[in-house]
Amino acid sequence: MIRLYLAELLKLRTLRGTWGFVIVALGLAALFTAGGIGGASEQARLEPQYQFRLVLDIAFPTGILSLLLGIVLFTNEFRHGTIARTLLAAPRRWRLVVTKLLAGATTGTALEFVAFATTLAIVVIWLGALDVPLERGDLADSAGRALVGVILAGVLGAALGGAVHSQVGALVGALVWMFVVEPLCWVLLGLLDWDGAATTSRRLRSEESSIPRTRASRSRARSG
Amino acid sequence: MIEVDGLTKRYGSTVAVQDLSFTVSAGRVTGFLGPNGAGKSTTMRVILGLVHPTSGTTSVLGSPYRELRQPEKRVGALLETFDAHPGRSGRSHLRVLALAGGIPRSRVEEVLALVELTGAGRRRVKGYSLGMRQRLGLAAALLGDPEVLVLDEPANGLDPQGIRWLRDFLRSLAAEGRTILVSSHVLAEVAQTVDDLVIIHRGKLVQQAAMAEVEAMAAKATTVRSPDAPRLATLLVAEGVDATVVADDRLSVHSSTERVGEVAAAHGIVLHELTAERASLEEVFLELTGEPGERGG
Repeated sequence: MIRLYLAELLKLRTLRGTWGFVIVALGLAALFTAGGIGGASEQARLEPQYQFRLVLDIAFPTGILSLLLGIVLFTNEFRHGTIARTLLAAPRRWRLVVTKLLAGATTGTALEFVAFATTLAIVVIWLGALDVPLERGDLADSAGRALVGVILAGVLGAALGGAVHSQVGALVGALVWMFVVEPLCWVLLGLLDWDGAATTSRRLRSEESSIPRTRASRSRARSG
Repeated sequence: MIEVDGLTKRYGSTVAVQDLSFTVSAGRVTGFLGPNGAGKSTTMRVILGLVHPTSGTTSVLGSPYRELRQPEKRVGALLETFDAHPGRSGRSHLRVLALAGGIPRSRVEEVLALVELTGAGRRRVKGYSLGMRQRLGLAAALLGDPEVLVLDEPANGLDPQGIRWLRDFLRSLAAEGRTILVSSHVLAEVAQTVDDLVIIHRGKLVQQAAMAEVEAMAAKATTVRSPDAPRLATLLVAEGVDATVVADDRLSVHSSTERVGEVAAAHGIVLHELTAERASLEEVFLELTGEPGERGG
């Protein structure tokens, strides 16, 4: 099992595409962090939880990359017809699935490590130059949360890749879900007037109590 | 040793393999023949645990492939479809397989040298020619120095020199006592390599025999040229041999060259030619598979 896991990591290391994901994660982390510091006012930088949000914000693009890399690491086997060769070394398929999920978690960890290291370097240098004190607790807290999210995204990606098999289908499906379906759901949920719905509910209950009781209900009330 | 017992594999209503049984002995090269679509690749994939049989069993070295410990060290396989990522170098591909199979990394260089790909090891696989890809596949099959080799159409893409190399190589491996199953849809391609033959057609076993037996099936008649042909014909018929005069100095005899030669020598008849006519192995193959119009399809 350990051999299979190490072989999965070697597979990833020996493909240029994997390093492309790492570079993009680094670039996006630098971009998001620079935007988060440069775009914030002096007062905003001193607000509580500012540094917490700064680190947590990079979890979104890193999580997407982790999800996509998770998909790629499994669907590559089907796209390039290497699954049969892989199964010859791992004839019990559950072992392969567990190995792929672990590899997804590992790639997520690696991507988050790169992204957090980039963010931290920019935060330390830039905020240090602006004399903004570092909130070490906030930074550690948000880094921990981001790491969990990105790892889960990697595992989810590998699981999705194993289930869908088609690389294009899985990648497009994941992107459509994240950038179209999910935002649309939030918009639709936002259209609901929750306060209005609560007021209506209260009014209906009060109207019900003011309706004259029927003979039967009066009888039930007496017996009850 | 490989054993296939009562193997049937159905894909929906299509029967790929039906009640197929045969054994492949150690120390011999066994050719697995049949036209394309006969069920060879399906059978090999079942043997390698890649496909579940509908019924029947297969075993390699006494166990189903899936139950073998460290199978890559015991069974080497070359599949018909190329199975390396095009973006990875040949050397990296083998390193991944070695790591997954628990095989020492030093073995990668050995097999690269064995298939004469050392110089191309750093190149990405997508730049390999068909023959180089086939050699890389063979290197992957040999990586674990296995006791059993299952090779699906290994000569595909190899040039004549490569085919000769493969032939000699397989013979040397068999001489070391390994079990080798080689599929092909061209009998002539494996005829000089194999000891035994398993011929299937439409998923069913047609013949399992030693190569020598199949060659005997190819023997047709003996052509004899002699200035004393009519007399020789009379003598042969008297010996109970079917002999026909086809020209003044020529006979067609349905017997071995040895028999004709002995009769001629016993009666002091001069011979100018004594030739055994043979059907081509391809003709025998087509005759056995029962479809003379179908060729390697």
